[in-house]
Amino acid sequence: MRNLLFSRLIPSLFLISAPFAVAAQNVAMVSLPDAPEAQQQQTTPQPNSSSSQQTQPAHPPDLSDLGFSPQQTKADPQLQARLDKRTHMLKVHQRLGLITLAPMAAALFTGGMAKGEDREGQTFHAPSDANLDFHAALGGLTAAMYFTTAWYAIDAPRIAGTHHRGPIRFHEALAFIHGPGMIATPILGIMAYRQEQNGERVHGAASAHGAVAGITVAAYAASMLAVSWPPKFLHRH
Amino acid sequence: MIRRLGIVLLFGSMAPLVLAQSQFVLVKSTLSYHMSHPIHHVDGTSTGAKGKGTCGGAKCDFLIAAPVNSFKSGDSNRDLHMIEAVRGAQYPMVVVRTTLPNPIPADGTIYADLEVQFAGQDVHYSHVAFQKSTSGKQIQITGTVPATCSDFKIDPPSFLTVAIKNEIPVSVTMTWQPQ
Repeated sequence: MRNLLFSRLIPSLFLISAPFAVAAQNVAMVSLPDAPEAQQQQTTPQPNSSSSQQTQPAHPPDLSDLGFSPQQTKADPQLQARLDKRTHMLKVHQRLGLITLAPMAAALFTGGMAKGEDREGQTFHAPSDANLDFHAALGGLTAAMYFTTAWYAIDAPRIAGTHHRGPIRFHEALAFIHGPGMIATPILGIMAYRQEQNGERVHGAASAHGAVAGITVAAYAASMLAVSWPPKFLHRH
Repeated sequence: MIRRLGIVLLFGSMAPLVLAQSQFVLVKSTLSYHMSHPIHHVDGTSTGAKGKGTCGGAKCDFLIAAPVNSFKSGDSNRDLHMIEAVRGAQYPMVVVRTTLPNPIPADGTIYADLEVQFAGQDVHYSHVAFQKSTSGKQIQITGTVPATCSDFKIDPPSFLTVAIKNEIPVSVTMTWQPQ
């Protein structure tokens, strides 16, 4: 009887000690420094001698168990390629846009020097050819760079199903101001240039050249600010 | 001796009650990455994560996954650029696996080892601290995964030719419920 008891009991004790060993490994993996000692002991599974099923770990969950649609989980290399191309083109757009700001600001600055003096009671003095040519060259360079910049944004691949939201909408809306402005400004500038070359006072629509240029530059600068919105100092974290 | 045997059998019969296999399901979550740039900060948040936990034996296995395109920063252009930068069309899911002891540790700070699949990379984060609290049947878990661009071989995106910071910590708030 005694031998029988030992022969049954000792294997049971081994079965009891096995989960403790597993638990010890777990405690090493997940430590609870802030948890009370008693709670840490809760991580120790209770002895189990009756059911081998209970000591076996359950099947770990799989991605297919979560209920995502195949469309959500499926790789789309073509979309990745379109995104890569889009990013590349928009990076060029951004860089060229920044560079364009330099001749644009310079053209705005030299605009005053390309203007004839026309004070009341005094004879009209046309600007020097050098000033006019320099301003015209800067304007031409600005226009060429601007339209190249714009092309990289216009030609960037569109991603289907994307609803535009956020500051990018403001950035795009401002293009409807500085875009026509960049068409009108050189045309008005050429008209003004011809009038001044003829020794005439700038008159008619050409007299709006400076104002249109100013609005265009302001809209362009606002457009650049829009994509960096919100600035760091306004960010609530 | 018979009394001892009786105690052993009593404990043995209670064990299935303690170690019964159970499942948890993620009922609510907010995952939010934080991106820092000299000009501005950006937070992109996803509430589209799904998760499941399975407890059996001495451990609980948890799986949390979210579509990369479910992270929204408030600017659609930036979100598309993020998807491109993290190769989100090629690898559309961010998947996190972790194991906790069974039963799950008591409320307070818990530490977990995370296996994160993201941007085509498998990255292991060990000993990540989370705060656990229980409210009724629901378990709230909050914490931050200290992710970086370099961990996942992501070229840090740049704005106005200046790259973002390498650190992109992901704040996690999850509510789990037994199934």
